[in-house]
Parts: sequence; C-alpha cells; structure tokens
Amino acid sequence: MRRDYHDILWGGFLALLGLGVAGYAAIHYDLGSLRRMGPGFFPVSLGVILAALGAAIALPAFWRKGELRPFAGRELLGVIAALLLFALLMNRAGIVITAAVVTLTASVVAPRPGILWRLVLAAAVTLLTWAIFILALEMTIPVWPWSR
Amino acid sequence: MTTLEGLGHGLSVALQPNVLIYSLFGALLGTFVGVLPGIGAMAAITLLLPITYYISSEAALVMLAGVYYGAQYGGAVASILLRLPGTPQSAVTTLDGYPLARQGRAGVALFTAMISSFAGSILGIVILVMLAGWLAGMATAFGAAEYAAMMIMGLIAASTIGSARPSKSLAMVVVGLILGCVGTDVNSGVQRLTFGQTELMDGINLVALAMGLFGVAEVIANIRDADRHGPPDRVTLRQLIPTRQDVGQMIAPITRGTTLGGFFGALPGTGSTISSFLSYALERRVSRHPERFGNGAIEGIAGPEAANNSASITAFVPTLTLGIPGDPIMALMLGALIIHGIQPGPMMLEARPDMFWGLVVSFGIGNLFLLILNLPLIGIWVSMLRIPFRWLYPAIIVFICLGVYSVRGSVFDIAMVAGIGAIGYALALASFSPALLLLGFVLGPLIETNLRRAMLISRGDPMIFLERPIACGFVIATLALILVPVMKTVLKARTNRAAN
Repeated sequence: MRRDYHDILWGGFLALLGLGVAGYAAIHYDLGSLRRMGPGFFPVSLGVILAALGAAIALPAFWRKGELRPFAGRELLGVIAALLLFALLMNRAGIVITAAVVTLTASVVAPRPGILWRLVLAAAVTLLTWAIFILALEMTIPVWPWSR
Repeated sequence: MTTLEGLGHGLSVALQPNVLIYSLFGALLGTFVGVLPGIGAMAAITLLLPITYYISSEAALVMLAGVYYGAQYGGAVASILLRLPGTPQSAVTTLDGYPLARQGRAGVALFTAMISSFAGSILGIVILVMLAGWLAGMATAFGAAEYAAMMIMGLIAASTIGSARPSKSLAMVVVGLILGCVGTDVNSGVQRLTFGQTELMDGINLVALAMGLFGVAEVIANIRDADRHGPPDRVTLRQLIPTRQDVGQMIAPITRGTTLGGFFGALPGTGSTISSFLSYALERRVSRHPERFGNGAIEGIAGPEAANNSASITAFVPTLTLGIPGDPIMALMLGALIIHGIQPGPMMLEARPDMFWGLVVSFGIGNLFLLILNLPLIGIWVSMLRIPFRWLYPAIIVFICLGVYSVRGSVFDIAMVAGIGAIGYALALASFSPALLLLGFVLGPLIETNLRRAMLISRGDPMIFLERPIACGFVIATLALILVPVMKTVLKARTNRAAN
C-alpha cells in the first residue's frame, strides 16, 4: 500500500475531534482566568492539544508506506448487534429470553457452520447465567417478561 | 505501627476464612482468564466489580488483587503452549517459551515461568513494604502542585516509554482526559459535554468504558483467528522438572527482573508490560550468548516473568500511598476502594492498617496458593486451551452485559458499551492503545482538580511548579520524557536523509 491510511484517517479524525471539543467548550463554558480556572479551561486546552497530536499523526503518514489490516466487519456487526439487543430486550423480556437471544446473535458470526451447536450453546449459557446471577447471587433483575 | 506489627496484624486479617476463600477464588479465576487468550485481567476485574458490592471491603480487594497476579501466572501458559499471549504482560514469554515447547521442553518452560513469577511476587512484596512506609511519610510533603505534576509525568511516561509512536499514545491519553471531563463540573456545577443526556450527568461509567475497550473490542478481534491454533500437546508433571543447568540459568535473571520490575511498577504510568519488555532487553544485553534468545533461552522467560509479577505487586505502592493509580488495572482497584468508602492516600496506612497490611499479607498467601496449585493443575490449564473460542465468546458477551447492567440497571450503559466497543476495536486495529485512554480517563478529573487548586493557591502564577523542589523535579522529568523521543526522531530522520 502506498500510504499509511490507518494513521491518516484516525489522525485526521482525532484532529477534527480536538477542534470540535475545543470550539464547543469555548463557546459554551466559561474559560475563567489562570488564577480561577473556569469549567471551560481544561476541555479547551485538551481539545487544542488533541488537534495538534492528530495532525502530528496524520501528516507524516502521507509519506509513509503502511499496511491495511483486515477489518473484521462481520464479527463487529454480530457482537454490536448482540449488545444492542440486550439493551433493547432486558427490561422488557427478562434475563432468560435476553440471554438466549444474545448468545444466538453473537454466535452467528462464529467461524463454524451448523445450527445445532449454536442452540446447545445458547441453552447452556442461558442456564449458566440464570444459575449464577439469579440462583447464586440473587440479583434483583427481571427474570421473565411477566415478572417485572 | 512497625513493619513487624503490621505484618502480624495483616496475617490476622488475611487468615480470616472468608478472606482466604476469596483470595483463592480470585487467584484461580485470574489464572483461568490469563490462560484463555482473548480475556484479560482487565475484563475479569471489571466483571467482578459489581459483585464486590456484596462482600466485605478486605475480601473484595484481596479477590481483585488475586485476579490481577493470578492472570500473570496464567498468561504464560498460553504464551508458551500456543504462542498466543494470554495477557499483554506475557507477550515476551512467547519469544523463548514457544521455541522451548517446540523442542519438547514445554514443561521446563512452564516451570520456569511459575517459579520466576513466584520469586518475583515475593520479592515485590518486600519492596512494597519498604517503599510504602517511606513514600507515605514523604507524601505529607505533597501539595496540589506536586500531585498534578506527578500525575502528568505518569501519563507522559506511560505514553512515551517503550512506545513505537509516542504521538499516537499521547493522543489516546488526551482522548481519555477529554472523556473524563464529561459530566458535572465539581467547581461550578456546569454540565460539561453531556449534550443534554441525563445519563451522562455523573460522567461516563468507568465499568462501561473498560468493558467496551477491553471486553468487547478484544472479543471482536479474536473471533476469526482464535481457533486457528491447534490444541497443545499434553504436559506431564515429570516434564516440569528442570535440569541443574536450567536452574543455574534462572537465578540471576530472576534477581535482575525482580529489581527492574519492582522499580518500574512503583513508578506511576509504567507498568508490568513495560517491565517485562525491558527485562527481556536487559537479559539479552548482559548474556554471553545473545544468539540463544528467541530460540529457547531459559533466561528469556525467567527475567520477564519475574519482572512483571514484581511490578504488579509494587504497582500498589502509588495506588495505596498516594491515591494515584499507575495503570488501568490499578485505576479499577482505586475505583473498588472508593466504592467501599476507602480513600487511598498517605493516611491510609494509619487510618486503615487492616486494609493495607491485610492486602500485603494476602499477596504472599495468594502467590503461595498459586505456586502449590498450579503445578498439579497444569494438566487442567493445558486441557482448557482446547476449549474453542467460539464456545466462550458468546458467554463473555452475556456476562459483559450483565456486569454493566447490574451496576445501576441502565440499558443506556449497555448501548455505550456497544459504541465504545466498536470504536475500541477500530482504534486497536490502527495500533492505538486503549489502556492509555482508560488511564487518562481515570487520572483526568484528579489532574484537573489539583491543577485548579495549585493555580488558586499560587494566585495564578504557574511558577509554583518550578519553585517547589519536588514539583520541579517532576516537571524536569516530564520534559526529559518528551524531549528524548523527539530528539531521537530528528536524529533518525537526519541519518535516513544522509543515507538516501
């Protein structure tokens, strides 16, 4: 690859993030004085420093060869979807259903075909979760949809 | 209280049955997560944090500490048998451990790792006891300026020492500091960077941030490749016995590694990972046969393993005596202490001797457990490496969710974990260090408070950092830490240009 795109993209993003934070904080919060620093002083300084560091990461990367690492997009999607399903279901469906759904969703991206092992795994994880968190630790969280 | 009285007092705390059980449980769980590649001590400690609400503060801390040093033992197992470091600290152990295993000497490599870890921990405890009293005495001379300067030095040290690209490490620290600003400003009550979200009023949840960066991101990174390594060969107890020559090769590296680790562990900002890398470099340099390194040199295991265990014990020095966590795991420990209403600092040795000395003695007991148990258990650890990762990671995801959810029953925090996990994965892919982000996040509010206080005391005169000798020392050290790598880069660029 001709350029170190990882560093160019992240460096650029961090620089913009720094400018954004500094700008937002400068507009919304009081800077104060050196003697009596306001709530804006620390974030504005940090934003400026981050902008400088971002530039220092991105600029040299234009003249440097880099390698593009394989991005595990499928795996990322599967895991994030599982987490969001937990957030969505937990308070509505209770831990038993949620744990089963989350395990199944997460296991979809595993590098091994077959449905049976996924179902067995979901059942095992759900049982284990219930045994540890409800039976042993007696945590007060919804167990079933109707036990709220 | 003299040291001897303290140790006696600590023994009475550490030998309480429930403390003993939690110590054993923590150490074994630590070994377990250390052995399994893909889950580190960080994720395990974060998972256990909510559980510690329900047990006594001594038992809680002893258990979390057990996970921490237990993982150092376990990390070596996967490094040696699979060339897959179970923990970052044991990455260097792959260099000589795996070649030894290929030569059919896996048992000796494992024995070396364990005995070196044990020796490193025990000597680390001696250093901890000596340094803690001295530092706690000195800490009364610390004012706001010293604290701020010391923490800034710690952050800069963590990002420049041993880092290939200091600018990337520093950027992560600064992102962490910015995330630490989110929430209600203590001095003015202003809501900073919350964008109207009431869930963010208390700031970003430490558990959610740590779970996202270490649990979720590492799971994503490991799903595809974790099962490609074949299962390891069996290791019998007989194979563990080293030859007389092996033992001779261990003693000096263990001594050097322990000293090095003890020193760097006690400095805020440099932790056990750096210590193990430095120890490896040192062993290679002092060796009469450096060519043996990388091909199965016992010294290449003994030194680093002693160093990282010694460092993980002395890392408690700044955390307990100054209230400044040196690495992200210590930051979590600090969080656990504060949850239990204990404010670490110079007064802790006086105010909570049971806590301090109990912890110290439990380190010794826990390490003894590990040494005695790990030799017979080695067969179990080896067979555990046969568990495919595809069975483990969905369970890890469920545990992460429940761990975060149980902190305050918030599904908002789970959504945060998802977002942070995705970003954390992308960052790690581009070789940014998530550990430094977390360190910045924890130290940020402490630095800001002390900086503001120092400037208030000096009436806005920044010279306060140069007029006070201790603070001035930290400032000079910080400048050196920044300037040395910059000079190196400039010199390198020059020689490159000359070569072209």
